[in-house]
Amino acid sequence: MGKNFSAPLERTARLLDLVPYINTHQGIALKDLAAVFEVSNAQMVNDLTTLWMCGLPGYTPLELMDLDFESGYVNISNAPTLAKPRSVTFDEGVALILGLDLLRASIPTDRSDLLEKIDSLSARLSSIINLNSTFSVIAPINQGVSAAIDEALASRSSLEIEYHSMYRDEITQRTIFPIEIIQVEGQHYLSSYCYSATDFRQFKLDRIQKAIVTQESKTIPEDATDTQRINSRLKVLKPTREIAERFSRQDLKAGSEFDFQTYSQQWLERSILSSGDGVALLTPPEIRASIAQMAQSMLDRYKAE
Amino acid sequence: MSRKIERLINLTIALLATKRYLTKSEIFRSVEGYEGSAETKERMFERDKDDLRSLGIEIEVGSFDPLFNDEAGYRIKQEKYQLDLGAITPTEISLLSLAAQAWQGASFDEAAQKALLKLNSMGVPSDSLSLPTAAHKINDGGGDLPLITKAIAEQQLITFTYVDSQLDRHQRKVVPVGLSSRSGFWYLSGVDQDVQEIRTFRIDRIEGEISATKGPKDFEPPQGFDPARVFDGNPSQSIAIIDVRKGKGTSLRALATSVQSLGEWDQLKLPIYNLNTLASLVLWHGIDVYVQEPLELRDLIVAQLETLVSNHG
Repeated sequence: MGKNFSAPLERTARLLDLVPYINTHQGIALKDLAAVFEVSNAQMVNDLTTLWMCGLPGYTPLELMDLDFESGYVNISNAPTLAKPRSVTFDEGVALILGLDLLRASIPTDRSDLLEKIDSLSARLSSIINLNSTFSVIAPINQGVSAAIDEALASRSSLEIEYHSMYRDEITQRTIFPIEIIQVEGQHYLSSYCYSATDFRQFKLDRIQKAIVTQESKTIPEDATDTQRINSRLKVLKPTREIAERFSRQDLKAGSEFDFQTYSQQWLERSILSSGDGVALLTPPEIRASIAQMAQSMLDRYKAE
Repeated sequence: MSRKIERLINLTIALLATKRYLTKSEIFRSVEGYEGSAETKERMFERDKDDLRSLGIEIEVGSFDPLFNDEAGYRIKQEKYQLDLGAITPTEISLLSLAAQAWQGASFDEAAQKALLKLNSMGVPSDSLSLPTAAHKINDGGGDLPLITKAIAEQQLITFTYVDSQLDRHQRKVVPVGLSSRSGFWYLSGVDQDVQEIRTFRIDRIEGEISATKGPKDFEPPQGFDPARVFDGNPSQSIAIIDVRKGKGTSLRALATSVQSLGEWDQLKLPIYNLNTLASLVLWHGIDVYVQEPLELRDLIVAQLETLVSNHG
C-alpha cells in the first residue's frame, strides 16, 4: 500500500497512474484532478510539470508526452506506452475480491446474470494476483434492509422496521427515525429515535428483519431525553470469555467487582441468568430479587418432572 | 527528487516500449538521467530496478539469444504491467466499484481506493443504476486483515495470543488458510502447528499484535478446505429436545432442525455443538424455555439455577 512507500516512490506511482486517468478524462479541471488524487493544486501542477518532461528515449518533442494544463483544464496526448492503467497489487486485488464476496450475498438470487459476473470477476482478479486461497464473506444484513436504511439516512426520513429484540425475545413493529450507524464491539447498530418507545434506541443491524422508508415526514420530538439508566454492581465468580464480552470487560478476575450501566432491566436479568454461576448481581436489590425468583420458578419446574 | 522520479518514469516507459530486451549499456545511453561514473550509474540502476519492483512492476531479465552468452537485458511486458480484466462491461465496472466502496473506513480502504482509481482509468463508464443493490460496508472490527490475507497467500506462520473461553491466554502458531466473516465478526482458519489440525479463531479475540514469519517449508495446504463451511459445525453431534413457548425463543428456533407444535408450546430438536453455550442460551430465555433432553444438559441447567438462587437469595 502507498503509505509504506517513501515519498518519491509514492509520487512515481501517482505519476504512472495519472497518465491513464487523464487519458480517459480529457479536459478534466486541474482542481478536480487534484481532488481525485488527494493532493493540493500546487502539488498537481508539480506532478504534471514533471510528467511533461518524460517520454521515450530521444526526448525530442516528438517523443515526449503532450500535456496541456495551462488553461486550468488537463489534456494529454502522445502517451501510448502508459495509456492503460497499471495492474492491481496484491492488496488491491484482495480488497476487490473480498468486496465482491460481500456483494454476492446481497444480490437477489434471480439475478444469476450478476452472480455469474461476480464469480468471473473474482476468478480473473485471483489469477492476476496469483491467489489460490479462497475467502468467504457473508453480508451481515439483508440487502433490502440495508438499502432502506441507506435511503432513510440520506433523505432524513423515518423507517418502519420489524425488529427481533434479543432481550425481550419478540419481534416487534416499530417506527423509527434513524440517526446514524454506530459500531460497538465489532457489531453494527442503527442509533435511532423510536416513536413506539418515544425514546432513543439502538437497533442491532442484523436483527432488523424488514425495513420500509415511510413517506410521512417525522422528526425527533424536542423534549426527548434518555430514559432511566440502571446502575448496577456485579461480582465475578468464574471468569469466562462469554461474560467478558457480554459486559464489555477487557479482563475479569474471580472475586473482583465492577459497575455496569444499562437501560434495560430485562437485558440485565437475562444476562445474569445466562451467565449462570459465572457472575452475581450485587445491586440494585430489586433486580437481584427478581433474578432469584425467576431462577427459582425455573428450578421448580425441573424438580417437578 | 524530481530527477529521480523523472528517471524512474522514463525507465518504465523505455522498458515498456521496447520489443526486445534492452541491455544496461543501451539503457545508460538512451534513458535520460543516468549520469556519473560507470559505478554510479550501475548503483542507480540497481536501486531503480528495486524501486519499480516494490511498486509491483515486474521487470523481466533475459538475453537476446540464448545460444550466445550475451549481456543480460531488461524489459517490462505490457501484459504484465497493464490491468487486464479482459473485455469488461459497464455493469462489471459498477460491481467492482461497489466492491471497493465496501471498505470505506476499514483496513483495505486505501488499497480499495487505489484499485478504484485504476478501474476508473479504464475508460469504461459505469452504470450502477442498473444494480439491485447499494454499497455495503465491511466492518473489520479493527483486525489487521491485510496482514492475514498476505500470510494466507504466502503460507506464512503467524503467531498471536488468543483468549480462550475460560479467559486464559495462549500463544498460537498457525499457518492460515482461510478468512471468513459472519454476523459482523471475522474468523481466520488455519493449521494450528501444535496439533496439526485446522482451527478457527475469531479475530477480535486475538490480543495484541499478530506477527508473521516465514512458514514451514514442507507445508501442504489441507485438501478440500472451504472457508464458507467453517461454521457448519461437526455433523456427528447429539440432539437436544427443547420446549419453547409459542412466539418466543427466536434465536433457539433459528438453530432447530425440527419444530413440533404442542399447544401453547413448540418442541424443537436442535443439534448440540457445545453444551455450555447451549445451556447459557437456554438460561437466557428464562421461563419460556424448558429442556427435555438430554439429561446432561438438564443437570447442567439445574446446577446453574441452584447457584443463581443461592447467589441472589
